[in-house]
Amino acid sequence: MMEEKIISRDDLLKICKDVIEKGHTLLSPGIAEYNVVKDVSQIKLDASALPTKTSYKSYVFPKAEPVLYYKRSKSDVQLIDVNVDGKNIIILGAKPCDTNSLNIMKHLFNWDYSDEFFNLREKHFITIGLMCSHYDEYCFCTSIGLSPVSEKGSDIFLIPLDKNNFALRIVTEKGKEFIEPYSEFLNTVDETLSRQVTENVKQPEVAFDCKEVHEWLGSNFENPKWEGIGNICLSCAQCAFVCPVCHCFDIVDEDYSYTEGRRMKNWDGCQFGNFTLHASGHNPRDIQSKRYRQRVNHKFRYYVDKFGEIFCTGCGRCSRGCPVSIDIKEIVSNCKD
Amino acid sequence: MKDLREHTRELLEKGEIAAVIGYRQVSEMRTKPVIVTDPADAEHLVFNEYCLNNLAVYLTKARIKALCRTKDKTLKLAITAKPCDVHSIVALIQENQIHRKDIHIISFNCHGVVKDFGCEFNGDNLASKCITCETHKPLYFDKIFGEEKETPKASDQALARIQELESMTHKERFEFFKGEFDRCIKCYACRAVCPLCYCQRCITDKAIPRWIESSSHQRGNFSWNIVRAFHLSARCTGCGECERACPADIPLTLLNRRMAIEAKRSFSYVSGRSLETPTLVGSFNEKDSDELFM
Repeated sequence: MMEEKIISRDDLLKICKDVIEKGHTLLSPGIAEYNVVKDVSQIKLDASALPTKTSYKSYVFPKAEPVLYYKRSKSDVQLIDVNVDGKNIIILGAKPCDTNSLNIMKHLFNWDYSDEFFNLREKHFITIGLMCSHYDEYCFCTSIGLSPVSEKGSDIFLIPLDKNNFALRIVTEKGKEFIEPYSEFLNTVDETLSRQVTENVKQPEVAFDCKEVHEWLGSNFENPKWEGIGNICLSCAQCAFVCPVCHCFDIVDEDYSYTEGRRMKNWDGCQFGNFTLHASGHNPRDIQSKRYRQRVNHKFRYYVDKFGEIFCTGCGRCSRGCPVSIDIKEIVSNCKD
Repeated sequence: MKDLREHTRELLEKGEIAAVIGYRQVSEMRTKPVIVTDPADAEHLVFNEYCLNNLAVYLTKARIKALCRTKDKTLKLAITAKPCDVHSIVALIQENQIHRKDIHIISFNCHGVVKDFGCEFNGDNLASKCITCETHKPLYFDKIFGEEKETPKASDQALARIQELESMTHKERFEFFKGEFDRCIKCYACRAVCPLCYCQRCITDKAIPRWIESSSHQRGNFSWNIVRAFHLSARCTGCGECERACPADIPLTLLNRRMAIEAKRSFSYVSGRSLETPTLVGSFNEKDSDELFM
């Protein structure tokens, strides 16, 4: 599929303007979150920016969404379906550590049950990735097999060649379909230019070996280390909610009145004490250390065993934002010490 | 730093304390909480401008309290606390969550902390609470380190913002908070880091009946954030941890500070300042103002 072209920044913004005018949703990274672009002057396309505080998963897997409405009468319960909005969402300038997130989540949402809400939104999601030229102490994309120039998950991938020009790589069929109407803005390019940029990009050092971590986790379920981490962790779900791949949810019914209500699918986090609380009062993960152990095992062991993929993108959001500075990269890198 | 390490090592060696809740440097511009039980680990303890966390939150945790119980006696727990964190400790004692005699407070004459991890401290980029801080010397302590020095004063932007909000119409103010709460993802980091959010079971975790919807839609987010502000009114000591922890950058201080202003105006009460004073919500005086009844 790979095809490479050159596009100027101005032309790229022209495409964005057209996308907005056509009524599609255009997302672009701000500082705290990915914002819906109303005016193209908002678009920064800054390869040196750190990942936003929150990921864009809420656009495919909303933090709270109704899955059905219900009406009750004396003799009957009537269920009313929800129509999922199949609107095109185009994300421009997604970090390589974010672009692969939907591919990872897809496994879960199509495992024992096919989640039509996720799938429909994902189908209409067009990802335009942007190479990343900056990392900090929490980044570890290279340790989980990605890199600042990874095209994985992108439909189109951008590489800044200079201040005003980008190499534009068409990665998937979906990306080709999207860009075709704008072919007037694309020019042929010498592919060695972008290769020079990607080959010289600064990459975080590989901090750990996923296979070794997987192995260590398998034989260290009762390691006293977990207790040490559990003593510090305060049981919020910041890590899970800012994570681009964490996908746990809770189903709750919200009554408007005695006769009407709706069933909601809300984000849930495995670090909450009541996440595994049974109706009987028993809680298999009753203390924080067991909950943190679950988080690491799910990311680097259970998901790998089940779906063959590491449940992490190495973006470092969970560590960067952790109120008590728990650093997952440090924990898995030093697990054997 | 040497004094702090020697002092805590000695206490641990003598068996006077069970553990030290302290800070450990993890990178040049970041520290993290650490629980030290082994005297040899006292060498990791630090105190500097990057000690942002309010460690008082750990004092009420069952797993930390459990460290203190030995066969024949209950040992003390040592905590390194900035003067503003001591306010939280005082509030916890006032509310009978901990006993003064069980806590060994190691405090510092504080010159302020940096506004966020990863920002290089240059003397001016202080956390906003430090700019208006009036307690550079702790009100209560068992051991104190450091020299007294004032923090540079700057304009109180949070107060200016509160006044600005008060001058708005009800509708405008609602719109403002709607915009802010829209970003709430209900991760409850605000609750988790708050030393005074020690409820065994938070009202938002109660499902039957469900007082606060768990959905982070507009109504759910408003009910959570407003109930939290009410529950902390005349209790919040203004440490600002909730705002620092919030991944959605919601200015939670505006709510808590506004309630603190009200407590001071109506009842001359400031939370966490005196061990001799009963809590505002836990005391009643016939002369109390009733103008806040709704």
